[in-house]
Amino acid sequence: MRPRLLGFLAGAAALSLATVVGLPARGEGPTRPLHEQVDRLIEDATGGPMASPATDGEFLRRAYLDLAGMIPTAEEARDFLDDPSPSKRARLIDRLLEGPGYARRMQYAFDVMLMERRRDQHVPRDEWEAFLRRSFAENTPYDEFARRILSADGSEPPGDRAPSKFVLDREADPDLLTRDIGRMFLGRDLQCAQCHDHPLVEDYFQAHYYGIRAFLDRSSLFTDPESQVVMLAEKAEGETTFQSVFKTSVTHSTAPRVLDGPPVDEPELPEGERYEVAPEKDKAVRTIPTFSRYEHLAPALANDEVDAFSRNIANRLWALLMKRGLFHPLDLDHSYNPPSHPEVLDLLAGWFRDHEYDVKALLRELALTRAYQRSSEIPPGADPEAAEPSRFSVANLEPLSPEQLAWSLMQGLGVVSAHREEAEADLDHLDSALCDRCKADEARQARRPWQVEEAVHARLSGNVDAFVRYFGAAEGQPDDSVEANVHQALFLSNGPQVQSWLDPSGSNLTARLSGIEDPAEVAEPLYLAILSRRPSAGERAEVLGYLGRRGDDQRSDAVRELAWALITSSEFRFNH
Amino acid sequence: MWCPYSCRSAEHAISRRTFLGGVAAGLGAVSGFAGRPMASLAGQLDRQGYQVLMIFLHGGSSQLETWDPKPGTATGGPFRSIETTIPGVRISELLPKTAQQMHHLSLLRGLNTAEDDHGKGSYLMHTGRRQAPGQEHPHLGSLAARFLAPERDPLPGYIHVTAGGGGLSGKDAAFLGPKYGALTLGNGQPPANTERPGSVEEAEDLARHELRMQLDHRFDLRRRTAETEAYTTSYEQALQLMERREVFDVSREPARDQDRYGSHDFGRHCLLGRRLLEAGATFVKVSHSNYDTHNENFDFHLEQVGEFDVSFAALLSDLAERGMLDRTLVVVMSEFGRTPRINQYYGRDHWSKAWSVALTGAGLKRGVVLGETNADGTEVVDGQATGQDLFHTYLRAVGIDPVVDEFAVNGRDFQIADPASFAIEELLA
Repeated sequence: MRPRLLGFLAGAAALSLATVVGLPARGEGPTRPLHEQVDRLIEDATGGPMASPATDGEFLRRAYLDLAGMIPTAEEARDFLDDPSPSKRARLIDRLLEGPGYARRMQYAFDVMLMERRRDQHVPRDEWEAFLRRSFAENTPYDEFARRILSADGSEPPGDRAPSKFVLDREADPDLLTRDIGRMFLGRDLQCAQCHDHPLVEDYFQAHYYGIRAFLDRSSLFTDPESQVVMLAEKAEGETTFQSVFKTSVTHSTAPRVLDGPPVDEPELPEGERYEVAPEKDKAVRTIPTFSRYEHLAPALANDEVDAFSRNIANRLWALLMKRGLFHPLDLDHSYNPPSHPEVLDLLAGWFRDHEYDVKALLRELALTRAYQRSSEIPPGADPEAAEPSRFSVANLEPLSPEQLAWSLMQGLGVVSAHREEAEADLDHLDSALCDRCKADEARQARRPWQVEEAVHARLSGNVDAFVRYFGAAEGQPDDSVEANVHQALFLSNGPQVQSWLDPSGSNLTARLSGIEDPAEVAEPLYLAILSRRPSAGERAEVLGYLGRRGDDQRSDAVRELAWALITSSEFRFNH
Repeated sequence: MWCPYSCRSAEHAISRRTFLGGVAAGLGAVSGFAGRPMASLAGQLDRQGYQVLMIFLHGGSSQLETWDPKPGTATGGPFRSIETTIPGVRISELLPKTAQQMHHLSLLRGLNTAEDDHGKGSYLMHTGRRQAPGQEHPHLGSLAARFLAPERDPLPGYIHVTAGGGGLSGKDAAFLGPKYGALTLGNGQPPANTERPGSVEEAEDLARHELRMQLDHRFDLRRRTAETEAYTTSYEQALQLMERREVFDVSREPARDQDRYGSHDFGRHCLLGRRLLEAGATFVKVSHSNYDTHNENFDFHLEQVGEFDVSFAALLSDLAERGMLDRTLVVVMSEFGRTPRINQYYGRDHWSKAWSVALTGAGLKRGVVLGETNADGTEVVDGQATGQDLFHTYLRAVGIDPVVDEFAVNGRDFQIADPASFAIEELLA
């Protein structure tokens, strides 16, 4: 009796689990990993020519840029290209996801996504960046990450205020916050629904706009008179009402609610009990209501029941690797702008929810797809239509972000490695005083790459600012609004920063290449360092010819010109 | 309220259709959502070659000491009015040289912008929209750069000449993207990075470009996208701009002109403006500071307007004489005007209820005065217009239809100007 019961229970549990995580029904064999399911859906939908798999060089460069934020060193490139192992791509993905470069890359990407290059106001940049980096290093579940950002109010102890940047640096402006919460956390730009139901998008309602705004309407900035720290203060009164500009005679009112979710229940409190800290006459106090509407925003928005929440982030993480959203633009999820592959989006969103919003796990699966590992070259003889970005049949091109560009230039031209060596030497010096057992300590050794990365970053990150100025979007605009322009070309051609990296000095790339005696030996290290691949025979001849024309006495000038041509080529400028 | 893309509701469409008299409705105002081309630009060919000169009198210049004097009234202040080359039209005696060019210029004296804050007033006058949180609209300069500048023009589409610092800012371009942002020539200095680094000779520079092009050619063989093409083109533009660097060098203008325009910053900047426009720059803004005269309004205006008059009159007559006015929209504006009431410090304060803008060129009538204020200048009594209306008027004058034209940025459609306002037809030729 008992075993049977147990068996029955176990079966039921397995069945319900299968239902929950959307696994194929029994009888279809073992569950296929997510990346295979994705590939099957994409390839079934395509029905046209597809690009061949990316070469090792293409894949290597792409994976480094996407998962570590910069190109690999020449040594890393050589090692990978020469590795005969068939599983080397999967191993590289795992290695990159565990490294400090991943946390830094995600820090940059999510800062730009969430703050859109706004000027820093009330929360220092370094605290915010540290918060982001730690979140991704520790792989904080994304829903928790979102809840931290949308519940912080700036009153936290000094070390914990960072997540409040999203709200405070927007000056707690309810309209701006409503718009950006809709865009960045729900994939919906509701701005057109501010004054009336969206005229053309039948699923964006004015009530959606004001439902979100109702969480925020009672909050405003408060500066603590003693510490001068800025934080949110909230009132206990004030209803959110709105009228359509087409029918101003009817006033609607809404409780706080996320899209079509349940309205937040607000207890009716007698007048004397509405405040924990009540407003005072003639005195600036940070009012705290007994019932806070703002406090209810994060739990109401970042949870499993809100479809738009998981769709949005699944789409954004997809776009981070695939260079285009399944629905695109990333903040226009609605029925007139349907996803290119609706089943893929549903699959990813469901999988992500069921895997507790594990960002690394989702990125890992995406990076393992054939879709991610395709070449960016249109297959020979195929119509250029095959490269239509929303088909994901050919890998999409994307210009490097300002941060990727700056760091890749420094990496390619040997600036990073010089500083890494110095940082390593500093650490060695510190370590030399330690006992052997301390040196061998595993935790200590595991920390080391992170310490080195941080030291290198501290030394060189100031160089990124100019790149953000030339290659980044304006405040409050998404980075994809940037088009190539003449000022960028002038900056890379004549700007003092790039010039100084190109001038041979110390052990940088051009210094090392200038020291190579045999001009036939220059092309390979040059290409490996900058383009992360070996040159073709024709390219070797081209380099040799260039050096030959300039003669031995102008070797270092010629090397500098070759390096410049490579860093300004489209192959370098784009993630391809 | 502005919508960032395509608020083409039935309601909006109807108001447009009413305005267009039903004629243009079929051309592009009909609502439709997807698949619109980059810009449904009726009259695209017409706008080739249009240019814009904006003179911005920073701080809020006084209409009473410039275009709409009220001598002999309680609000009029100490200055007289003088005759101009338009019979019956009088302007402040602080503008004697401009008065001699008045037949080239039109005045709008009935402006009511209802915005007395510097930042918001400036925003309204530059974008034709009221500022609202969470929204950014492109400035006129950025729109010009996007719609009027030839695609491969090496000169930046939006150039701002000012006495302050220089640099590049994408902010004015809003969602159009930083390519259409302002290049500020601080104190008239040429833009950054337009000189070859000392260590690179010209022949070597060309050799390295040659190599870059070969690399790009190979990369593009099976990848060609609009983005890689735009990137490659940006280097061609960079080389052209470096070659034409002297365009930014006002000292190459004849000494006689330098004298005529005045030896002060504003004079040099106006002359640089002429030089840039002659070289084909699409949009040039020249700023003149500072008119925010809460104290001693009259002393300040005596000095400031004196400078302005010399340089502006020279520039206007040159543009007219050289036949450039036909294709160049000229606007002299501020963020607002100044109070008719004179305060206890002999100053005038911010005032947006009844003030003036001077404009001419391109598709505008010349020598016309529109709108009228009452005897002491406290109210508009005829021909009232808003900042939004003016913005529509500028666009129409350079061949952009602000009502019909739309454009798409990254998959979103935008309407160029505030859909609830209309151009001032009486000003359009």
